[in-house]
Amino acid sequence: MSDTSRTDIKAAPQREQTPYIEMRNITKYYGGTIRALHDVNFRINRREIVGLVGDNGAGKSTLIKIISGVLQPTEGQIFVEGKETKFSSSKVAMQNGIETIYQDMNLIDCMDIMRNIFCGRETTTSMGFLDLKEMQERAMHLLKNEVTIEGIRSPEQLVGNLSGGQKQAVSIARAMFFKNQVLLLDEPTSALSVRETQAFLNHIQRLREEGLSIVLVTHNIFHAYQVADRFFLLSQGECVLDVDKSETDIDELTKIIVAH
Amino acid sequence: MGETNARHSGARALFNRVHGLKSGNILIVFVAIQVIAIGASLAFPQDFRYLSTSNLQVLFRSIPTLGIIAMGVNLLMISGEFDLSVGSTFALASLVMAKLFNAGTPLIVAILAAIAIGIMIGGVNGYIVVKSNVPSFIITLGSMWFWRGIVLLVSQASNEAFNPGPGMDAVFTASIGPVQVQFLWFVAIAIICWFFLERHKLGNHIFATGGNVNAARALGINVKRIKMMNFMILGALASLSGIISTTRVNNVSPIQGEGLELQAIAACVIGGTALMGGRGSVLGAFLGAALLFTVQDVLLLLRAPGYYLRLFVGLIIILAVVLNEILRKK
Ligand SMILES: Nc1ncnc2c1ncn2[C@@H]1O[C@H](COP(=O)(O)OP(=O)(O)OP(=O)(O)O)[C@@H](O)[C@H]1O
Ligand SMILES: [Mg+2]
Repeated sequence: MSDTSRTDIKAAPQREQTPYIEMRNITKYYGGTIRALHDVNFRINRREIVGLVGDNGAGKSTLIKIISGVLQPTEGQIFVEGKETKFSSSKVAMQNGIETIYQDMNLIDCMDIMRNIFCGRETTTSMGFLDLKEMQERAMHLLKNEVTIEGIRSPEQLVGNLSGGQKQAVSIARAMFFKNQVLLLDEPTSALSVRETQAFLNHIQRLREEGLSIVLVTHNIFHAYQVADRFFLLSQGECVLDVDKSETDIDELTKIIVAH
Repeated sequence: MGETNARHSGARALFNRVHGLKSGNILIVFVAIQVIAIGASLAFPQDFRYLSTSNLQVLFRSIPTLGIIAMGVNLLMISGEFDLSVGSTFALASLVMAKLFNAGTPLIVAILAAIAIGIMIGGVNGYIVVKSNVPSFIITLGSMWFWRGIVLLVSQASNEAFNPGPGMDAVFTASIGPVQVQFLWFVAIAIICWFFLERHKLGNHIFATGGNVNAARALGINVKRIKMMNFMILGALASLSGIISTTRVNNVSPIQGEGLELQAIAACVIGGTALMGGRGSVLGAFLGAALLFTVQDVLLLLRAPGYYLRLFVGLIIILAVVLNEILRKK
């Protein structure tokens, strides 16, 4: 089985273009002993959706957090359009066009929807004072026209009082508002209804057409298969498969994932 | 009939609006206590002198010492940290100011030095907390004793007189009718804190840091810097409070300010500030500090023995926290 995957890695066509983000030999230890990633090479090309898959604890969220600047790799390098860049904080990653929906740390419960959406990137007037009116209007527009959330009446509702799906929708709304070059989505639909999940999957395909790059982490292989152009399988912190959609089909993919 | 109804629903709407405020609960309790105290004072002007000028002066003079510190404690607690060393900062800043002034340093320099000492202590506390990741409760417990030790060492455990003259009195402690200047300082600081917390992006970052530190960091907020900043603001306010209080009593005692740290936390908690961070309001902390002194004052006016004070304050704290928790869950 491992043989198959190795050929698959080689079979993945080397694209002529430089990837937007390229990570080389990424290793991550937590607290010096827990190895979450080992020697992972990961790239994000322009205008593609990568399905990042793997078992619980495989290291998917760790990889996402390294790209988003929240965690620093123990070893390895990150290149943005071929230029080595240190993602020393999430701010640096954002400045490089990366917008993230995390699996578990997106929202601040004791703040309202509007303040959550703009948190850290507030619209201000002079001297850092909040332009509440402007933020209000933008949030209103966003929730009315772009990412409508079932049961939301106003951007002033406290996030802590929302349902799991509504919270996830607020995270999505924020990512859509600030989307730039790359969207990292760590199980963004785990709490959404079937209908909203489909709408979301359609939406990210449109974003790819607009030129965005998207990394989608999901345990639902059908969702990944539906939208992704490439699949990247992690197992116990190591890359075991990096294959284009054209090189595989859903049965083979399922088999490989289950085997690991 | 229709008119009473309209008035009724108007009152109801007002009640709902007040109740909807972040500090609505404490505001209602505070107003209720004031109404009772003022009513009793009007009914029994001879026995219960709540509204007498001398009593109002006592209130307006006592509240700011705690209140100014509570403003800083409130910011720090909302960002998820504590500072138990503010009482020691309060004393050291006062002592440094008095010593410098008595040694011939210009008054303004002595005052600025006192403020600088507070900012420095806050900065050291904050630096150790964010670098070590040890809970600030423990770090500042150590800091509280350390700086109190320094105060005792420098003062040789004796009082230091401070008689800066009429200019300083005018700025900090003069009376305008029953109100004293130090109360105006308190109000001004509270207003500034409100704008900072509710209308400035750093205030937003303070709530985010205390509400969910991982999310705040992931959103690009420098949570360490936010916490450091709050420790330093609190240090400056503790110094200012010490300066005002010392100007009022013309004296620095080496044990002055002991217990202020817990009273300030109590004032914030009564006002609805969460112990775990993320929630709180300036008006709540303001009223919390005022409420503690109002209760103390009422007990004094009723000539209740001193131990009633602690007993009542203890009850108020527990009731306030439990009530806030219940109302929040609703
Ligand atoms: N903060 C942490 N401290 C220590 N170990 C951690 C930490 N975060 C993750 N790990 C460990 O690192 C490994 C990879 O975790 P990670 O969260 O990246 O997995 P994942 O692929 O996202 O899993 P899931 O599908 O369950 O979300 C796991 O063994 C996990 O226990
Ligand atoms: Mg994960």
